[in-house]
Amino acid sequence: MNETPVQERRVRIANRMGMHARPAAAFVKLAGRFKSEIVLARDGLEVNGKSIMGVLMLAAEQGAELTIRGEGPDSEEALEALGDLVEDGFGEAGEEP
Amino acid sequence: MPTPTLSVDRIARVKGRSLPMELLTPELSLERECLDPDMSSPGLALAGFVDRFPTGRMQVLGQTEMTFLEGLDPEVARDRLRILFSQDFPAAFVTKGQEVPEALLEEARARGIPVFVTPLSTKDFYRRMKPFLEVELAPNTSVHGSLADVYGVGLLFMGKSGIGKSECVLDLVERGHRLVADDLVMVSQRGNDVLIGTGHRLQKHHMEIRGVGIIDVPALFGVRAIRQQKRIEVVVQLDEWSEDGSYTRTGLDADTMEILGVELPRVTIPLNPGKNITVISEVVAMNHLLKYSGVDSAAAFDRKLKGAMLPVGEYLEEDYE
Repeated sequence: MNETPVQERRVRIANRMGMHARPAAAFVKLAGRFKSEIVLARDGLEVNGKSIMGVLMLAAEQGAELTIRGEGPDSEEALEALGDLVEDGFGEAGEEP
Repeated sequence: MPTPTLSVDRIARVKGRSLPMELLTPELSLERECLDPDMSSPGLALAGFVDRFPTGRMQVLGQTEMTFLEGLDPEVARDRLRILFSQDFPAAFVTKGQEVPEALLEEARARGIPVFVTPLSTKDFYRRMKPFLEVELAPNTSVHGSLADVYGVGLLFMGKSGIGKSECVLDLVERGHRLVADDLVMVSQRGNDVLIGTGHRLQKHHMEIRGVGIIDVPALFGVRAIRQQKRIEVVVQLDEWSEDGSYTRTGLDADTMEILGVELPRVTIPLNPGKNITVISEVVAMNHLLKYSGVDSAAAFDRKLKGAMLPVGEYLEEDYE
């Protein structure tokens, strides 16, 4: 109970359109499946990884570097799944226009 | 959060719109950082004393400084300017539209420190620049929560994702209260204990309602439903109902929460289905106003009760009045 491992993973936005509404929705939906607290950070701005408005405010374009932080019992699995989702470009196209 | 910084470029771009200023050294980079919300006039530096020179602070050369320089032997003046510009400061401003000697510009260029001239008097320049510097360099952070103006009281709703912060604020908006920011609140400190909350510049009063999606609050409810910024006065913590939750029952003991070192009163409300948190929120706001007008309902009630329990009955029994 008092042991809450904190995990961190740095990821880079891969898809061309960046983290717009659909990718953000996919992210928060996935984040919401985990018990851990999920924080997403970019350039000093930290937002709750389970809230879509917060995630959208990061305005993370292609190439932007984000830090995902998980705190809780399943943080390791959460970071693996969420990091992969971002790095796979949320299933969207990644090449240059 | 990183300590706030402010580049000379931003000062020139943002403040340059409302405050007349002309850049005399356009060839220099404006990437230098202003670190101090104060400004000072480098009188002592021009006299050659730089032991306690404030680093990172903008320097304002008024009539006193410029007249002093003029009165010096040109060689000495040059020397003093060299001493001044070898200090570390973001930019120099010459006020009252005074003529700027070439020697000053040369020394400034040699050290890469931009020089501006403004037609304003030193006093007016200070008066108009200072508030901007204070706001830009104020300690700031962001919190996960929703901020609304309820009867003029800034209520910051906090709690886990999905607990119903946005829904509560939407309900408040529908009842005529005003949304400041949903989900992500940018907080900036003013003075000693005032926290000002505002939305992220990209958010523009949109909010997410589960099951509906992203909605545009001013488009739906009109301008009266929103506010650009508001002092945060009470934190309303929304918690899932639990049997062992230690919720206040009397309101006699004040709970607080700290943001940027400022203590804010905190009210924790347990949620269960069917509970009307909107009305409770209005009561929280009104109770806060009442406390500030000198009425503490819980304490007053307790006082009356204590009075009623004193053995006055005995005194009146045989009527000594």
